[in-house]
Amino acid sequence: MEQGNGKVGAVLIVGGGIGGVQSALDLAESGYYVYLVEKSPSIGGVMAQLDKTFPTNDCSMCIFSPKLVEVASHQNITLLAYADVESINGEAGNFKVKVRKKASYVDWDKCNGCGVCSEWCPVVMPSEFNMGLGTRRAIYTPFPQAVPKKYVIDRREERLCHAACRDACPLHMNVPGYIKLISEGQIEEAYKLIRATNPLPAICGRICYAPCQEACNRGQIDESLAIRELKRFVADNCDVEKLEIPTVEPTGKSVAIIGAGPAGLVAAHDLALKGHKAVIFESLPEPGGMLRVGIPEYRLPKEVVLKEIEYIAKLGVEIKTGVEIGKHISLGELRGEFNAIFIAIGAHQGMELKVSEEDLPGVVQGVEFLRNVNLGKKVRVGRKVAVIGGGNTALDCARTSKRRGAEEVTILYRRTRAEMPASAEEINAAEAEGIKIEFLVAPSRLIGEKRLSKIELIRMKLGALDASGRPRPIPVEGSEFQLPVNTVIAALGQVPKTDFVKELGILLSQRGTIEVDPGTGATNIEGIFSGGDVATGPAFVVDAMAAGRRAARSIDAFLRGMPLPVEEKSKPQELTAEEIQKLRNRFDEHPQHGIAEVPVEERKGFEEVSIGYSAKEAQEEAGRCLAGQVTGCIQCLECVDRCEVKAIDHSMKDTFEEIEVGAVIFSGGFECYNPSELYKLGYGRLPNVVTSIQFERILSASGPYQGVLQRPSDNTPPRRIAFIQCVGSRDAKHNRPYCSSVCCTYAIKETMIAKEHSTVPLDITIFFMDLRTYGKDFDRYYERAKRESGVEFVRSKVYSIEAVDSTGDLVVKFTTEDGAIKTESFSMVVLSVGFQSSPELVELAKEVGIQLNPYGFCQTKPFSPVETSKPGIFVCGAFSAPKDIPETVMQASGAAGEVSTLLAPVRNTLTKAKEYPPERDVSREEARIGVFICHCGINIGGYVNVPDVTEFTKTLPNVIYAERNLFTCSQDTQERIRRAIEEYHLNRVVVASCTPRTHEPLFQSTIREAGLNKHLFEMANIRDQCSWVHMREPDKATEKAKDLVRMAVAKARLIKALPHLSLPINRSALVIGGGVAGMTSALTLAEQGFQVYLIERSNMLGGIARRIHYLPGGEDVQEFLGYLVRRVREHPKIRIYTDTWIVDVHGYVGNFTTEIMRYRGRVIEKIDHGVAIIATGAEEYKPDEYLYGRDPRVLTQLELEEEIVKGTPDVINCDNLVMIQCVGSRNDERPYCSRVCCNRAISNALKLKERRPDMNIYILYRDVRTYGFYEQYYEEARRKGVVFLRYELEDKPRVRQERKDGRLLIRVEVKDLVLGEQVAIDADILALSVATVPPPEARELAMLYKVPVNEDGFFLEAHVKLRPVDFATDGVFVCGLAHAPKSLDESIAQAKAAASRATIVLVKDAIIGEGIVASVDESICSGCGICEALCTYGAIAVDRERGVSVVNEALCKGCGACCAACPSGAAQQRGFTRKEISAMLSAALAGV
Amino acid sequence: MTVALNELDTKFKYEVADEPGGENIKLCFACGLCTASCPVSDIDQKFNPRRIIRMVLLGMKREVLSSDVIWFCIQCYTCQAHCPQNVNFSDIVKALRSIAVREGYVHPSFVEKIKEIDAFSQKLRHQMVNEILASKAQGVEVKPSELAAKALQTLQD
Repeated sequence: MEQGNGKVGAVLIVGGGIGGVQSALDLAESGYYVYLVEKSPSIGGVMAQLDKTFPTNDCSMCIFSPKLVEVASHQNITLLAYADVESINGEAGNFKVKVRKKASYVDWDKCNGCGVCSEWCPVVMPSEFNMGLGTRRAIYTPFPQAVPKKYVIDRREERLCHAACRDACPLHMNVPGYIKLISEGQIEEAYKLIRATNPLPAICGRICYAPCQEACNRGQIDESLAIRELKRFVADNCDVEKLEIPTVEPTGKSVAIIGAGPAGLVAAHDLALKGHKAVIFESLPEPGGMLRVGIPEYRLPKEVVLKEIEYIAKLGVEIKTGVEIGKHISLGELRGEFNAIFIAIGAHQGMELKVSEEDLPGVVQGVEFLRNVNLGKKVRVGRKVAVIGGGNTALDCARTSKRRGAEEVTILYRRTRAEMPASAEEINAAEAEGIKIEFLVAPSRLIGEKRLSKIELIRMKLGALDASGRPRPIPVEGSEFQLPVNTVIAALGQVPKTDFVKELGILLSQRGTIEVDPGTGATNIEGIFSGGDVATGPAFVVDAMAAGRRAARSIDAFLRGMPLPVEEKSKPQELTAEEIQKLRNRFDEHPQHGIAEVPVEERKGFEEVSIGYSAKEAQEEAGRCLAGQVTGCIQCLECVDRCEVKAIDHSMKDTFEEIEVGAVIFSGGFECYNPSELYKLGYGRLPNVVTSIQFERILSASGPYQGVLQRPSDNTPPRRIAFIQCVGSRDAKHNRPYCSSVCCTYAIKETMIAKEHSTVPLDITIFFMDLRTYGKDFDRYYERAKRESGVEFVRSKVYSIEAVDSTGDLVVKFTTEDGAIKTESFSMVVLSVGFQSSPELVELAKEVGIQLNPYGFCQTKPFSPVETSKPGIFVCGAFSAPKDIPETVMQASGAAGEVSTLLAPVRNTLTKAKEYPPERDVSREEARIGVFICHCGINIGGYVNVPDVTEFTKTLPNVIYAERNLFTCSQDTQERIRRAIEEYHLNRVVVASCTPRTHEPLFQSTIREAGLNKHLFEMANIRDQCSWVHMREPDKATEKAKDLVRMAVAKARLIKALPHLSLPINRSALVIGGGVAGMTSALTLAEQGFQVYLIERSNMLGGIARRIHYLPGGEDVQEFLGYLVRRVREHPKIRIYTDTWIVDVHGYVGNFTTEIMRYRGRVIEKIDHGVAIIATGAEEYKPDEYLYGRDPRVLTQLELEEEIVKGTPDVINCDNLVMIQCVGSRNDERPYCSRVCCNRAISNALKLKERRPDMNIYILYRDVRTYGFYEQYYEEARRKGVVFLRYELEDKPRVRQERKDGRLLIRVEVKDLVLGEQVAIDADILALSVATVPPPEARELAMLYKVPVNEDGFFLEAHVKLRPVDFATDGVFVCGLAHAPKSLDESIAQAKAAASRATIVLVKDAIIGEGIVASVDESICSGCGICEALCTYGAIAVDRERGVSVVNEALCKGCGACCAACPSGAAQQRGFTRKEISAMLSAALAGV
Repeated sequence: MTVALNELDTKFKYEVADEPGGENIKLCFACGLCTASCPVSDIDQKFNPRRIIRMVLLGMKREVLSSDVIWFCIQCYTCQAHCPQNVNFSDIVKALRSIAVREGYVHPSFVEKIKEIDAFSQKLRHQMVNEILASKAQGVEVKPSELAAKALQTLQD
């Protein structure tokens, strides 16, 4: 073997669909390091989007998910999801690859996939995974079982503004977030988001001073957004009473809150949610503080305040009104009773005017005045009222006086309008209501006898700025004047009444406010906190609320003994002039939507003045928000706040990585055709016209409707569905002349599943041209759909789909073969869309220099089906041509085989072995069982009450821990299982989910990683055996699930760690069959340095390919075959045995011995080998119909081909040649399609036409099955004048000899279904496209290797989708025609795949045996020998000397036959002992 | 009745393909979209474009060229707009008509008449629409046949 030559033992795989995943796993297991690059956030590709797979109707994700998890956890695979390959340079063996890792804005090292961020994200976008039918958030993971289970933020655009609103708000409310939701009409969601930071939204929506609006960047264009009003709209349209009361685990700690104003309420609310008991003491008779008594009802109605307080009370907050601290109870007493105290009594004492006669009747304090009015006390005002002050309180007093009957109300303010602290809206409203404002005046004296009658005022002028930053008012000497008044209301400001705190020595400021730490709200006394007006002096409601929140956070930390968190101040960012210009360029002016108010003349009492937005107005106004106008993330930063692990990083940038690899595999898959351009089919225009992939999502449990079959327009179940085939396929007009290969079969699948899912009777019609179910067992599937599922098949290309009326129903117009024009009505229509390459992949291929075909697919050659035009770069899957999953998997393994050959010299240079921690010895521990119960989306959760089963499980003995998971097989759950084992010291794990067949290895690997022997695992199948079979009886299903879990737990109590046998490996392969497949497998292995024995029954290599001379594209098969045979013959590592038959086989994976007989029995040899590849090929069916064998002019296609190659004149010069397709195929005897015959017939027809263009060639067919790019040869044949006539199985062509004019003619008659007439052709030559049949010896060979064949005699693979070259028997593989009819290139790909799979065995150091084998208790074994006679594997034998049976663990398959037969019970199956099974049975019967 | 293909003119398809517009006739894979989309087939199912193509492909030259149906096509090109194989049936009809004239199946004056009919049909339709334009905003109750009679009257005046 050559030396490494600087090759790199790593591989780049581009694309993480099933193809990429398969290649990655094969290569990683074969000793190469793998980089798997996937452009989307999760691997899985289109297969992850499928509901079920044909033709077995397996759940797609169920079979795929374990592989995805395996990729993510494989020690030799680096998964680069959400990344693009930028460039690939270098040559085979040594490439340099530049990868761009797209910024996900989430630190994946920290992200644990909990999904809280996504729950709170306000941006709703169409979900790509659900093909636009459902929605996702801007921060998302594509689907529940995504791998890696990490979130990404979809940020497509630069943000336009910096969300200054959020930073300006003292509560940091997510303004852009809820505005976005309002603009989408999602009012409830908006409410949820608002409430997340603001427990008093209806209040703030009315009276907040809205610093957000001041900061709003929209103001730079026209006017700021009416944020407050929008908040009010939401609060008014969502009922707080409907909110759920969250249940919180109580902490047992209690907090006294003094004052039921905004600060106290918010603190109580937050503390209650943290589980602390909050008790509010309020001196007033009603809670609310200033909200209740300081603000007039026409601005803030009482019921609004009380409703929001009521909800806070419902959280468990106790509010004691009428209790004054210092009077009814002392602060010291409170301190003794509670763990912490929050003082938030506000500032309710009005400041004095400090002028003479202040105590005259008629002079009142503003706050007191408002309080009395609000509390419903009798308050009288005089005819003429003067209000002194310029703040909101002054305005409130003035407007309230007016409402209380004052005729003339004047506000007296010592500065000018510009300095008034009241909001402009308030001032305007007051003036509108007829209130006068006198500026630059101050009271100097109050005048009156007994009652106030006049006020003396002095004019002021403005001087230099004072400490508050405003100009100081200076009295103008001698300017005094008098004003007649009946009432003067002093509204100069308020101070708190804080005498009672002195008792404990709480520090006060000079102004009498409580001194607190501004970052934490802590006072100088430990455990006592304060905030709001009492600490700051009069301020705004939202400031008080923020203080309440701050204090609650501090108190919570204090109660938990943690350091107090210090709040960071955020300042709203200001835009630069440039940024402002950019905004102005982009947006037109569109000022604020006006807010309706009750007209002034109607404002009599205290009804609310502002009417608020209507839904339409709110939506329009919200639409003005700049943040909401970007696509994707609006950067509201809610996720940043929500993320517990602080994983969100909005500053993240794309990063680049350079990696070195020896080879590259392109497995980029395909995209589905978007049929919008086909106007007549209505896609995008008619909601009930969906694509097949959308329909797949509709059917899926993780889809937009959770698997409930319904149509998009009105969510009703469809009663009639039409499927339209060939949408974007076989359509030269739209540059898609190729066939997409899979649509016929997937459509059949979708019809069957739809019928299963439907809750109403459902009729389905498939409109098609040719039905191309050419794959293994696909024709049976087609027949099943017709006969059992009652699907109707109509051979017609549909012309148009139109809406009937407003019901959403659709009319389909088409013509039948006889020319009748028909219309039929359907509830919905599914367009079976074809495949196309993704533009990104095409671009990359061009950049790398890979040759593409005219349709953007990777160009390959038939003899090298997984090679691109560039050495060292390979391709698999739909990127080279449309194909299904098994074909993709075969190619993926085939490409892996190629890579493995190329890089064999550097195998194992970059990989590391999987290391598990040492196994914990649990033999002396009592069973500590952890149970994980899976919802499996709705697969289980939809029918079984999983929470109920989980609670039940917790009651079972020895169950230490039980939890339920949405998908137990997901990657994050594996981590949870590992953590649970550690945390709870579990020593047995039970998973209740699906089937051990697909998922047991995954869970076993998980528990091994946590140090448990893999046999300390047990599974309960509550899906296949429970939810699926009891869909219609959920209660019983739940009971059964409990029984199944109880059984599994009963067994788990007894299970033991089992030892594993390690066996050496014979690193050589036996390949059976010397055709193209066998030789290709042999070469692929030999080139990697493994010894290969190639067995051929005949005396020549080449197989059936010796009879094939050219392919439809004209490629010379014999030249290729000659080259292949030469390479095989000359290879030093291949030993060829021709004329050789296999007579016996012994052994097991890694150690087989095959006995062969050579030269018809003259020589018998034994070959030891580690693996075997079966490539025994197939033969042409010998027909007994259509005069075959009776008239020499009737030939099979291969015979015709030989005559053409020979140049037989009667053949190549004939005038009329007829071919009949499906001879011996697709009938009752052989209900399968032979797949190659259409192409072979066309290939021969083209060859004949090449020689003689005017020859009349008629091909009588049932369906032309020129799948994929073979369609081009069908087109070429037609172009050259070959006539295709279709016949029905029930009315096959009739062939007879007829004598005419002395000549014996072959007369072929058939009904032309288009013409509607019988036609007769006198053929010179009749070629029969006969079936491909397996050789009769296949069955014998199958028995020798203990592998199965299907009903048709072809070898049956381990899994038709995902293990197309493996057998259930380890170490034996299949490829070529032995597996099923297929073309030469498909055989080659599969042969390479078989070699690749075999390589995985051959490179291992040892075979680790199964732990589940028979064992014999020698103390009770009588040596009777019954077991020995029974064992098919020769794995148990009686030791004659000792008289007991002995098990050969390497040979034992764990079938259990000996154990069942053993009369003494000495033979027992490890892992299934009698004791264990009895325990399960007892548990099963316990419920009876 | 059985159609004996050996007795037909199996080269006819090449002849049509050589005619301008007939080039793609052999590409037809008989999906039937031409027929399903045809407004003439809608009113007369004897007019079946797919069947006409099939007759050409089988060599039924005499039957096609002497048939009445090739004259029913209104040359609206709908079939052509939708054919996935670009068979261009409207153009094929043109080709068939010209062969029919050339080979004496049809007198040239017949073609002139057809042209006149096509032109007149257009005028008639135009006039019929004209007749009802005034009632755009209200419901129209008059039957097309009555409308046609009226339009005919107007055209004759």
